[in-house]
Amino acid sequence: MLSMKHITKSFATDNVVTHALREINLDLAEGDFVSVTGPSGSGKTTFLNIAGLLESATAGEYWLDGEDISKLDDKGRSRMRNQKIGFIFQSFNLIPDLNLFDNVDVPLRYRGFNAAERKKRIEFHLEQVGLASRMKHLPSQLSGGQQQRVAIARALATSPRFLLADEPTGNLDSSMAQSVMALLEEINRAGTTILMVTHDNTLAAQAKRQIYIKDGRVQEITDNRNIHNLAVG
Amino acid sequence: MLELGPMLRALMRNKIGALLIALQIALTLTIMVNAIFMMIERSAQMARPSGLDETNTFYLTNTVFAPDYNLQAALAQDLQRIRETPGVVAATQINAIPLSGGGWSMSLQNKAGDDIDGTGVAVYMVDEQGVDALGVELIAGENFAPSDIIWRDEAATEWPDKIIITKAMAEAMFDGDWNKALGQTLYINNHEPMRIVGIIKTLQAPWNGWDKVENAMLVPQQLDGRNSRFFIRTEPGRRDALMPQLEKALAESDKGRIIRSVKTMEQTRADSYREDQATYRILFTVIVVLTLITGFGIVGLAMFSINRRTRQIGTRRALGASQWQIMRYFMLENLLISTAGVVLGVAGAIGLNIWLVSSFAMKPLTPGLLIVGCFALLAVGQLAVSYPALIAARISPATATRGRA
Repeated sequence: MLSMKHITKSFATDNVVTHALREINLDLAEGDFVSVTGPSGSGKTTFLNIAGLLESATAGEYWLDGEDISKLDDKGRSRMRNQKIGFIFQSFNLIPDLNLFDNVDVPLRYRGFNAAERKKRIEFHLEQVGLASRMKHLPSQLSGGQQQRVAIARALATSPRFLLADEPTGNLDSSMAQSVMALLEEINRAGTTILMVTHDNTLAAQAKRQIYIKDGRVQEITDNRNIHNLAVG
Repeated sequence: MLELGPMLRALMRNKIGALLIALQIALTLTIMVNAIFMMIERSAQMARPSGLDETNTFYLTNTVFAPDYNLQAALAQDLQRIRETPGVVAATQINAIPLSGGGWSMSLQNKAGDDIDGTGVAVYMVDEQGVDALGVELIAGENFAPSDIIWRDEAATEWPDKIIITKAMAEAMFDGDWNKALGQTLYINNHEPMRIVGIIKTLQAPWNGWDKVENAMLVPQQLDGRNSRFFIRTEPGRRDALMPQLEKALAESDKGRIIRSVKTMEQTRADSYREDQATYRILFTVIVVLTLITGFGIVGLAMFSINRRTRQIGTRRALGASQWQIMRYFMLENLLISTAGVVLGVAGAIGLNIWLVSSFAMKPLTPGLLIVGCFALLAVGQLAVSYPALIAARISPATATRGRA
């Protein structure tokens, strides 16, 4: 499903080269639910951005669903993001001037679905997150938890094989966070692979596997299914 | 896939900026189309042929101050001197200069009588070399013979019995058919007959803004006043050399007068249309400035909008929008705003034109110009938004995850 080999990301200025990620090796199988934790500035977001094709690695190999990402141009990467990846952001990233229906519609239009297909998908996924009755509402008329649910509906609408969640509960209180987490688990049970960046160790522990990143390196991978640690060289 | 519906709904929720730009486009179109129309009209007016051989003609003014002066003998002698000068094709004494702004006009009528409406006509008193000196084209009939020319003192009111008129004047007098005019008699001062002996193609009146500027007639008369003008046509390329030469020769030949206002017809035309030229340039400047302001306004709004929506653009990119789709979004958004502006502008342009037509007797706008104006402004909008749209397209999809809101 996802395979990273020796992924490195560095940022160079005139005098300094900063290594955000060093030699990341990771394989995700179909149906995995992996959480990524680590202190601030550890490289979690950079890792997520590279995994989600939001930015490119400086070196290394990255294969997603059988495609060599390094060979794709911007258009190809956009197509991959649209077809294979769903995104959930900490700040929800809903478009404030669009109602819920139009927000969920955004990736579907880029996909090129016809109006009937789009309508069917939007209604289905808003129903799935319990917001079908509020389709004409603007994001500002919803609570944070509800907005995140809309973002999840938007992420699911294109039927992605891989869901990337960047601190999905970071802006929510604990009950809303649990409710969103429950929804993610349900989505994972339905077969979608999930990679979730979080600060919250409790939530991280609910994933099937946990990755701990520090100083741009994967320090530890914990398999919560078997509760044992694997050392990473 | 185009996003017209969501885009329109988003614009309606956030309409102040878009509305201001649409109004600016509307105002620009309103002014631009009418200004261009006025420029076209002015340009057409300035391009009208005077009928003269403007490149090779000039004139000078002879002012006599000496007492006991034999005007007729001196004028005849001057004309002879001018005509004998090598390089001069023809010369005539004339009472007024076309397009100069000063001259004579009379009214001609088809029938004799006191209560008959006449048609205004500019009067040029010339001798038998008048047609040649002016360089006008005689298209029917004949020129005046030397025997036709009569002296006229400044107080005289009588008119000769022969005239040459312009084709436009002939059409005005004979139901649009100038062919009927030759040999016919027209009446001046209500009762004095004048027989049309010739038709010339074009000769403009001294006043370029007169609605009957093409109505002119030549009469075989020579004024014996103390102020007189000689109109001279030279061989091609010799005008500029002959002007000072003749001025000097005439001035030196007779110390009882002065020679002044030596001027080419080209200068006269330039002077005549100076205001029109200035208006043309002002209108052009207004159009350019307005268009630039509108263009910059669009750039400004688009840049503001892009800065405000950086995260949103990053999110769209993350959700699968290609760079082209982002660029297209902003260009399409501009097209919607511009179209609204253009629709308002068409109404404004027509409204302004109706007012101009009723207040200043301007002609009604042509639909073609209005359509061209609309497309031009839509193109300006697209051009103006293309750079901000390109900047938007270059926003990284990683912006979606950077910076916590």
